[in-house]
Amino acid sequence: MTQAAQPNTVPSFWNDTGKTGVAAWIFSTDHKRIGLLYFYSVLAFFLVGMTLGGLLRIELMAPGRTIVGPQTYNALFTVHGVVMIFLFIIPGFPGAFGNMVMPIQIGARDVAFPRLNLLSWWFYIIGAAIIIVSLFTGNGPPDTGWTFYLPFSERTGTNVSLAVFGVFIVGFSSIITGINFVTTIHQLRAEGMRWGRLPLFVWSLYATAWVQILATPILAITLALIIAERLLGTGLFDPVRGGDPLMYQHLFWIYSHPAVYIMILPAMGAITEIIPVFSRKPIFGYKMIAFSSLAIASAGSLVWGHHMFTSGMSDTAILVFSFLTFVVAIPSAIKVFNWVSTLYKGSISLEAPMLFALSFILLFSIGGLTGLILGAAATNIHVHDTQFVVGHFHYVMFGGAGFAFFGAMHYWLPKFYGRRYAEKPALVAWALMFVGFNITYFSMMLLGVKGMPRRYYDYLPEFAPLNLVSTVGSWILISGIIVLLINLFYGLWRGERIGNNPWGGATLEWTISSPPPTENFSEDPIVTHGPYDFSKAGMP
Amino acid sequence: MTQLVARFFKIVLLLFLLPKAACAATEQLPAHQHAAMAPSVAEAAQIGLTERLGEKLPLDLVFRDENGKPVRLGELITGPTIILPVYYKCTNVCNFLQGSLAGVLPAVKRKPAEKYRVLSISFDETETPAMASKYKRIYLDAMNAPFPEDGWRFLTGDLDNIHRFTDAIGFRFVRQGEEFIHPVASVVVARDGTIVRYFYGTTFLPKDIALALLEAREGKVGASIRTVVGYCFSFDPKGKTYVFNLMRVSATVVLFCTGAFLLYLILTGRKRRQPSQGKQQP
Repeated sequence: MTQAAQPNTVPSFWNDTGKTGVAAWIFSTDHKRIGLLYFYSVLAFFLVGMTLGGLLRIELMAPGRTIVGPQTYNALFTVHGVVMIFLFIIPGFPGAFGNMVMPIQIGARDVAFPRLNLLSWWFYIIGAAIIIVSLFTGNGPPDTGWTFYLPFSERTGTNVSLAVFGVFIVGFSSIITGINFVTTIHQLRAEGMRWGRLPLFVWSLYATAWVQILATPILAITLALIIAERLLGTGLFDPVRGGDPLMYQHLFWIYSHPAVYIMILPAMGAITEIIPVFSRKPIFGYKMIAFSSLAIASAGSLVWGHHMFTSGMSDTAILVFSFLTFVVAIPSAIKVFNWVSTLYKGSISLEAPMLFALSFILLFSIGGLTGLILGAAATNIHVHDTQFVVGHFHYVMFGGAGFAFFGAMHYWLPKFYGRRYAEKPALVAWALMFVGFNITYFSMMLLGVKGMPRRYYDYLPEFAPLNLVSTVGSWILISGIIVLLINLFYGLWRGERIGNNPWGGATLEWTISSPPPTENFSEDPIVTHGPYDFSKAGMP
Repeated sequence: MTQLVARFFKIVLLLFLLPKAACAATEQLPAHQHAAMAPSVAEAAQIGLTERLGEKLPLDLVFRDENGKPVRLGELITGPTIILPVYYKCTNVCNFLQGSLAGVLPAVKRKPAEKYRVLSISFDETETPAMASKYKRIYLDAMNAPFPEDGWRFLTGDLDNIHRFTDAIGFRFVRQGEEFIHPVASVVVARDGTIVRYFYGTTFLPKDIALALLEAREGKVGASIRTVVGYCFSFDPKGKTYVFNLMRVSATVVLFCTGAFLLYLILTGRKRRQPSQGKQQP
């Protein structure tokens, strides 16, 4: 499908800058450079999180102590969660691919507030630095779990205040990105780029941006209250001082459940870009997919209570939250059915981005359906706080958002480097990851159903075989990721050159040169057709 | 600049103190039951749980059993033992704690009285063996499964022994009239009195108990699983209205601002562009 390499007539964004060296990047206001800054930052933290996750699996390989003690184990799962959630998945899609691709897709030269955009990366990196400092100072890394539940997070002697402050700062970067994207999508669309012609990745970022704007301030306030509780003893959540720990859980999940949609919505958007291109068919149900993004964002903001079915809420509240949780399944299913309908009778080409997209559909569906088991009040009681939750969450977040992220890396990074990876090793990497992933996390779900609780350092001998299987799976998974990264980055550095449109996409980013010029378009584009109208895409 | 910083900190401090002041104001209202039950700050410091994992519970402490007969702890701790520090008159969480244990014990696949034992120890020195006996009947009946009398013993004792016991397990509580404010936790000890595990909260999983008993048999000291300490006290949500109001007000402000932002974006619409500056473009 690769077009013959075309000589670039316009200097790319890589060559165009007054500054040189690191300064040309960390002070750049170009959305593509900021996108790449975000990309490499989140990727670095992904690797840190992955290493911690690998260590957790090794510790759980056999009952009793394997490599670390209980306190270190508690710190490991806390830091794994904090790094993966706050430093990888939440900023991953909007920060990296949103920044790189979205302005080009709507035909803009940059985002609405380029300097604010840079500030958002700085907030992110400063927050991340503070979180890292918190690991090595004070009385050791936090051991509360990424949820920072009170009153434990108030009492523990570990360095919770600093870590929470770091997450607080990272939150600002998320809010700024949200405001920036919403404004950009409203105001900077090219002529003819009507709302009905927006690529669906842009729609998903638009829905995500509203969640970022509305929900993240609540997290910020909640985290500020933890610090106040620890340092000033305000007693809002501490029952000994007359506070209400349940209120903390409400405040935390009012943000953290919608945050799951911050993680998954843009991933769904990326998949929606990949599937029609590699099926050579217009997307099925454009309007419903766009609508379902908004529906997931709004309904998803009302379901946080399903994390608290065993916390002592009223039965009425449980019933309502359980019902709303089922409601979210509807727009999610709309997406899945539309993707599958797009594939139907398409001319499917199984290249790496497509394989990641197809596995996304399967893994996300498993994650989504097991989510209903957790969302139903009765079955929740049985599997609450077990390894089942861990398995389910990884199916949605890693099998969903993570696989979409890797798919997007293969799909869009060649555009920004002008070179591509080798196909065969990419397929091997995908196969290793897919097999390893399912072994690792399906075993966890089985363990959960059998009753193994989550976050436990030790377990009964009857859980040993499945834990061993899961750990071996994690080795396969990690080896897949290593192959993937080596192949991808070697390809971007030395691989075959690509033309403007290696995959035959119909969205605007494929109409400009690879790598794109600084201001994206030499002349502002005038959009005359929809994003999936391949008859006009100028491809064979 | 320094003044600016100082002013900023003053404002932040005020913001934090305002709710506290409001709370103090509501607690002074005579109609509030909540005020009567909420511990003072000094008392709060005395309530809590400090884990003493690996340390030994003195086995020479003497309590009275259900029949009023003095009994040494050493006579009862003859294997892995789950100890519940409670008071029988408790109208609140102690009942849930013991009730929930009664609910899961039949599912624990080890023989009670032989392989393990449960002890409820009252930390209220005014409670009598008669009360202990009455509550023993209630919980054994609640089990709906045969459970040996000797498998779960209910003890009472004098102040000295009670304090030696609670100090040894790091359990700090405060009397308030007829009631107590106390943490909700139970402790598992090995045959020699070594404290091997703490359980927090009122719910038990049979597997947690099995694992703890296994560790106690092997003399292994385990890590605590859920280190979230629950407390037994009366909570009046009405005493917290200022928090709820604060949340309501901030939610309204946030929603109003974002609504206004969306309206502005819709009204201004798509921006007309300036021709490209063409920094590096032909």
